[in-house]
Amino acid sequence: MASKDETVFHATGLTKVYRSGAHEVQALRGVDFQARKSEFIVILGPSGSGKSTFLNIVGGLDRASGGEVWFRDHQLTALDDRGLTQYRRDHVGFVFQFYNLVPSLTARENVALVTEIARRPMSPDAALALVGLSDRRDHFPAQLSGGEQQRVAIARAIAKNPEVLLCDEPTGALDSATGIKVLEALAEVNRKVGATTLVITHNAAIRDIGDRVLRFADGRIVEETVNATKKRPAEVSW
Amino acid sequence: MVISPLRRKVLRDLRRLWAQALAIALVLAAGVATLILGNGAYASLSETRARYYGEFRFADVFADVTRAPLALMAEVRGIAGVLAAEGRIVKLALLDLPDMAEPGTILLVSLPEAGEAGLNQLYLRQGRLPDSQSADEVVVSEGFATAHRLRPGSSLAVVMNGQRRTLRLTGVVLSPEFIYALGPGELMPDPRRFGVAWLPRPGLEAAHDLEGAFSNLVLKLAPGADADRVIEAVDRLTAAYGGAGAIGRADQISHAFLDAELRQLSAMVKILPPVFLLVAAMLVNMTLSRLVTLEREQIGLLKAIGYSGRAIAQHYVEFVLAVAVVGIAIGFAAGAWLGAGLAGLYARFYAFPFLVFARDAGVYGLAALVTAGAAVAGALFAVRAVLTLPPAVAMSPPAPADYRSRMGFALQHLALRQTAVMTVRHLIRWPLRTASGIFGVAMAVAVLVASLWTFGSIERLIDLTFFQAERQDVTVAFAGAEPARAVQAVRQMPGVLLAEPYRSVAARISHRTLSRKVSITGRPAETTLSRVLSPDARPMALPDAGLVLSEALCDALAVRPGDLVTVEFLEGQRRTITLPVSGQSLGYVGLGAAMEISALNRAMHEGALISGVNLMLDKAQGPAFYAAAKAAPKTGFVIVLGRTVQRFRDTLAENITAMISVYVVLAAIIAVGVIYNFARIALSEQGRDLASLRVLGFTKAEVSGILFGELAVIVLLAQPLGWGIGHLIGLGMVTAFSSDLYRVPLVIGREVYAMASLVVCAAALASALAVRRRINRLDMIEVLKTRE
Repeated sequence: MASKDETVFHATGLTKVYRSGAHEVQALRGVDFQARKSEFIVILGPSGSGKSTFLNIVGGLDRASGGEVWFRDHQLTALDDRGLTQYRRDHVGFVFQFYNLVPSLTARENVALVTEIARRPMSPDAALALVGLSDRRDHFPAQLSGGEQQRVAIARAIAKNPEVLLCDEPTGALDSATGIKVLEALAEVNRKVGATTLVITHNAAIRDIGDRVLRFADGRIVEETVNATKKRPAEVSW
Repeated sequence: MVISPLRRKVLRDLRRLWAQALAIALVLAAGVATLILGNGAYASLSETRARYYGEFRFADVFADVTRAPLALMAEVRGIAGVLAAEGRIVKLALLDLPDMAEPGTILLVSLPEAGEAGLNQLYLRQGRLPDSQSADEVVVSEGFATAHRLRPGSSLAVVMNGQRRTLRLTGVVLSPEFIYALGPGELMPDPRRFGVAWLPRPGLEAAHDLEGAFSNLVLKLAPGADADRVIEAVDRLTAAYGGAGAIGRADQISHAFLDAELRQLSAMVKILPPVFLLVAAMLVNMTLSRLVTLEREQIGLLKAIGYSGRAIAQHYVEFVLAVAVVGIAIGFAAGAWLGAGLAGLYARFYAFPFLVFARDAGVYGLAALVTAGAAVAGALFAVRAVLTLPPAVAMSPPAPADYRSRMGFALQHLALRQTAVMTVRHLIRWPLRTASGIFGVAMAVAVLVASLWTFGSIERLIDLTFFQAERQDVTVAFAGAEPARAVQAVRQMPGVLLAEPYRSVAARISHRTLSRKVSITGRPAETTLSRVLSPDARPMALPDAGLVLSEALCDALAVRPGDLVTVEFLEGQRRTITLPVSGQSLGYVGLGAAMEISALNRAMHEGALISGVNLMLDKAQGPAFYAAAKAAPKTGFVIVLGRTVQRFRDTLAENITAMISVYVVLAAIIAVGVIYNFARIALSEQGRDLASLRVLGFTKAEVSGILFGELAVIVLLAQPLGWGIGHLIGLGMVTAFSSDLYRVPLVIGREVYAMASLVVCAAALASALAVRRRINRLDMIEVLKTRE
């Protein structure tokens, strides 16, 4: 097993340009980035600062216009669509702002959706237990609160035992009390599963729960802070 | 001109949803086209016939006699209700043509003399009518002239009553009496083997010893006259002169075949267009329901700012009407094109001097109205739910799809993959739409089953009729009844391997109030060539006494074996006797009645007489045999079975292939329309879920598989339903098609079902692949950023 200091992500000179007609939007203007195994990284920044674009490229959902991203010994920037799909399938867990659960499947079935195609999954019940939803496993998304739905999404993301957990505004649609529960679930699985966790947020109060905080502005990382001591989500004031 | 914002939205929606709109428009177009084709062809054919009959004075009643004096005509004209009457000489003659080894048949009809009524007038295509004093001038029917490249000035050798004569053509004509010119013993018109010729009376009188007499009677009735009473009166008058029973138009061969065609067309109009319009209405409903769901918040907003529910409904109805207009336009064009094709078929099959094209605005107007109505009905059904919502409720997003109550956990015990669970739950969540999809695809299968079965059915008809029942190579029919020893003379002819005599007697068979004029065939009890088949298609021996009636005749007379029927012979001593029905036989062509030949002769109180001989020939000696048959003085006409089968197959194959190509296209349109729209709607509803799965690492193939799984379930469930509905339509067609002239066996083999399913599955696959491009282009990033 790799040591805790092992580099999981390594990006250099990452750029992204969106073209629509004659318009060009420079979303990333040269990002250099590294992440170690099990690291919990909070990414802050205003809308349009490039943080989501960055997460999408790191997560294999989008392609960079320039620069390189490596995940361990895979050069993500060199993979084709099939390769990126395989990368997401085998290594990445995603949590989204709007949960993106399948409405026709129960909580347990939503998790099983992923464990059925994963290489070394935990059981769906174990994943739900990790987020404290064992007793809600036979409920459909329409029967769950927003916070519960997001915890199901987290269970779904970690059930494959991913090496990377990417969360884009996981608390964006939730009230603060619920948001804290969701962040606690994230911190808990980061500790237990050991996945490198990247969390995008608008909410600066969350910064204290990460090992490291990156601040994006205008397509670049403009500030990097290492927290000497992480707070527990319950301890941050919202 | 200022276009209102809502109308602008209609145009933009059409551009955005063009593929779905076009798929619906095509199904509507199929409905319109079949409606126009069916109604138009029906109107064309019936109006053409009516005008032809009117202008050329087609008779109402027809009767054959052996020989009646012309003086009888005064009494005939005196019958109440008779407007005009004509006594003609009508006789069959053998053709002796250099381009045909086998003898063909020509029907010779005497022309009316100057001053006579002139019923069944001729339409002169070429040349002139014969000079009334001439002994050898003749005009012939157009089909026959074309088949033998005859034109005015050509000569024509015929054998009339045993005498060879050479006639000279002065013209080519058409007659309302022979629009469908069927030769004796034939199943299909064959203008090469059968023609009609009209010539002045003197030549025919001399050849048949009919000076001052007639052998055929045609009557025109006054409007409103009772044809049945006239027929009775004619039968009474002609009984003493060998009258074989008068018939009305309904039993006149040419007229009856046209009637059968008209009945088939009206059956088509009753079945096909409603299928298309129903499917189209369902598609409109399905598609618009989804559109309305997607635009629910916009509708709420429109209501909030003061648009009335009526205005909003009108907006969606306008959208649907725009689609309907496109469909109607395509349908008009396709209907007119197909109609012209069908008219071309009619022109070749039926001898009309002209075709009245029923470009009846009414037909088009009705088609447009019915189609637009079906589309609007589908639309209103979809919109009505949203219109009843208060604006505040409509503006908020709909509650998330709730999968709780329906079949929730039964699936857990099935050990399905979650993607399969998604497929099943989504189908169950929208039961009405799922049912519509299944029904729509089933209709595509049904349309195919209901058209493809005709091939197998005709093969069965051919097999039973020509290879099981009528197995002779050739039938030689004598001009009149001959002593049984006449069979010996035929046996002596070159190439004859086997000869079996038969007797054929015209009779009226009655049971209670029902009666039919048929010809009773007498055969030896057990025969090798022409056989009577039992209902299970096995050869049956004829009983010592009693009649064996075909199923069609049993149905027509409402009798069963064991019942007694009254038989009134229309020949010889014209006895009327009671006979038991001793058996039922299989037969698809005409109404059949059979008896053991000596029993028949006994019943008629006649000696051993025969009407003709069925023969098995040594093919190598065919020409020699035909030459001998032509030379034999007693030969009335000759039927060559092989040629009949060939003609039957060719003609039907041509017509059916054309028809089936049209049906396959129509079925494919339904299948594509239903599957494509169903897939687009399913994708619209689940696009977000599928994109989420792509993010989670599902491959494009796995994600497409979820949607294709739904389509596969729809298509698979539709197959047995489609087979069933197709079978029912086939049954309806058989009932609609069957007449005293012919019946069609309903034979739907496994290959028919397989072929129908194959075509529909291919169409479904094509539509699925069209949607696959959209699945592959699902935007994974967009879906993460937006709430549904």
